[in-house]
Amino acid sequence: MGRYEGNPVWDDVVPIPQEEGEGALAQIAYTDEYVEAMGYLRAVMAAKEHSPRVLDLTEHVISLNAAHYTVWLYRASTILALDIPIDKELEWMNEVALENQKNYQIWTHRQTLIDHIFPTLSSDPAAAQAFADAESAFMAEMFEEDAKNYHVWGHRQYIVRKFNLFDSDAELKSIEALLHEDVRNNSAWSHRFFLVFSNPAYTTAGSRATEHDPKIPDAMIDRELAFAQAAAHEAPQNQSAWEYIRGVLRKGGRELATLEGFAGEFVRIPEGGEEDIRSSHALDFLADAWSEKGELDKADMALRLLGEKYDRIRKNYWDWKRGLLRGAKV
Amino acid sequence: MSLVTGPGRASISASSLPTELQLSIAAHVKYIQTLDKRKDELEYHLTEHLRINGIYWGLCALHLLGHPEALDRDQVVDFVLSCQHENGGFGAAPGHDAHLLYTVSAVQVLALCDAMETLDERGKGDRSSLPGSTSSESGILGVGRYLAGLQNRRTGTFAGDEWGEEDTRFLYAGMLALSLLNKLHLVDVDLAVDHIISCANFDGGYGASPGAESHAMQVLVCLAALSVLGRLDAVSDKEKLGVWLSERQVDGGGLNGRPEKLEDVCYSWWVAASLSIIGKLHWIDEEKLTRYILECQDPEQGGIADRPGDMVDVFHTHFGIAGLSLLGYPDLVQVDAA
Repeated sequence: MGRYEGNPVWDDVVPIPQEEGEGALAQIAYTDEYVEAMGYLRAVMAAKEHSPRVLDLTEHVISLNAAHYTVWLYRASTILALDIPIDKELEWMNEVALENQKNYQIWTHRQTLIDHIFPTLSSDPAAAQAFADAESAFMAEMFEEDAKNYHVWGHRQYIVRKFNLFDSDAELKSIEALLHEDVRNNSAWSHRFFLVFSNPAYTTAGSRATEHDPKIPDAMIDRELAFAQAAAHEAPQNQSAWEYIRGVLRKGGRELATLEGFAGEFVRIPEGGEEDIRSSHALDFLADAWSEKGELDKADMALRLLGEKYDRIRKNYWDWKRGLLRGAKV
Repeated sequence: MSLVTGPGRASISASSLPTELQLSIAAHVKYIQTLDKRKDELEYHLTEHLRINGIYWGLCALHLLGHPEALDRDQVVDFVLSCQHENGGFGAAPGHDAHLLYTVSAVQVLALCDAMETLDERGKGDRSSLPGSTSSESGILGVGRYLAGLQNRRTGTFAGDEWGEEDTRFLYAGMLALSLLNKLHLVDVDLAVDHIISCANFDGGYGASPGAESHAMQVLVCLAALSVLGRLDAVSDKEKLGVWLSERQVDGGGLNGRPEKLEDVCYSWWVAASLSIIGKLHWIDEEKLTRYILECQDPEQGGIADRPGDMVDVFHTHFGIAGLSLLGYPDLVQVDAA
């Protein structure tokens, strides 16, 4: 006597047992509860039944094994077939996602359902806005558990694209809040770059993340540089901020040398005296800026310091760069 | 193959290792052999959705350790074929839906077992010969058609299943399997290469989709796909990518997958293999990395963990051994990064 066998709601269903594969590799000791639920799931799937009781059954199986992708697919198709409102489903999914941080099936499921209701939703701007806000609130809750969860950030980009939130103040503010909490959160930096430099309002369609985009207003480049420079002051050895600065300069088509003075604030190399380096990334930045300007001896000195003292684990790389400089000199 | 963790635990500190750092080959072989004798444990069924991947990881590690015979070949081939569906795809275990990732693992295992002929004879799917071809029915073509059907002909990338979750992981996996099956002509290679290019980020790395954060595992799948397709020329700035990858090494010698994340043995493979593909493996401290991976093994009971002191599992055992092989560790079969 299990949860389904002898239960009047499931009286009409004959469970289908798992076909045992041949050989030792295939036989698996399941719990009785899981075996029974899967037997009923196989039966309803074989009969292509899409009904409210299938939702209960799939919820049960997911609670036993959230990584079982087949059950997610069948649940989604049941919801689509019944064409029921998805509010309750979202609420339930939020709980499952919070309990299963590494599960990815749930995000596909979520997006399948959002795609399904989007045409209706987008005809009512207020409803669409409320929906996007609720998604953001849920993701904020997920970020409290793990602010670098790759699945959640992927979903965030999906929502930004779907609901065109590129110009949303709230979106930018929430990224700033996350960076305020942890200025080294590389995921948040990455999302900021996506948000600012893929905004269809002022960027060239199809411009790569690694390319200069002449369409971007100077003021936008200035704003992003100022933001990242302040962050570098806050945490000089933060790789993410320095990468961001280089990325923004490239988007804006500006040379590294335009920020030589800024990078110099982290590096003091007095003639004949002991140097004072507050950031190896600043020294690296200066080496490239100097090399760009043709000041090759200074660049070489910076690279030597990096390989011998400030980033010794990558000595081979710094030596390789010094070799390139020597090649440029000849 | 079970993904159950333990029983071994990685040594806690380097000082407990023998003075000369040794890879405990015999212990690792035994560890992988006994994995499948633990079916009565709860974790075994919770990892059922990865069964066929587990077989690949275990078998691949055994090949690198020089002991491919340690698992019964015919039994492995029979099990893999029992996971195949009528549509040509494979599920994670008998009775599971077909999915690209399991299909790829199945193809990899069959290739390792030198069982492509068996697949051609016994494989399912649309086996009918191509129009104009003189060859007869083919199970290899059945699997190839299933995989090719998962390519999005608008974006070039691959979906994992009929529901269309897309990710550069799927693109690489699909291309790798199609190349092992010698069926790359069934898909649009140029479109796939364009898609990979669009996943390149400002920091030099690659993400799971255009605009997604750079991640060492996503970097490897993009590079390995380009390598399989013979299109490494599509990497526009190898120096910047090499810099980003080499910055993944932390002071302890291990590698992380993103800035400010913890190091983990599986990145020894994803980062080091990526560096190897672009010819920059020497940009990291290889000796320190070797030492780090060896610190993560259980020298007595076998197996490798994600970091020192944690429970071992077959996933990290595979990636740790593959990393050591790449680093030229003696007595291991040399691995190809792609």
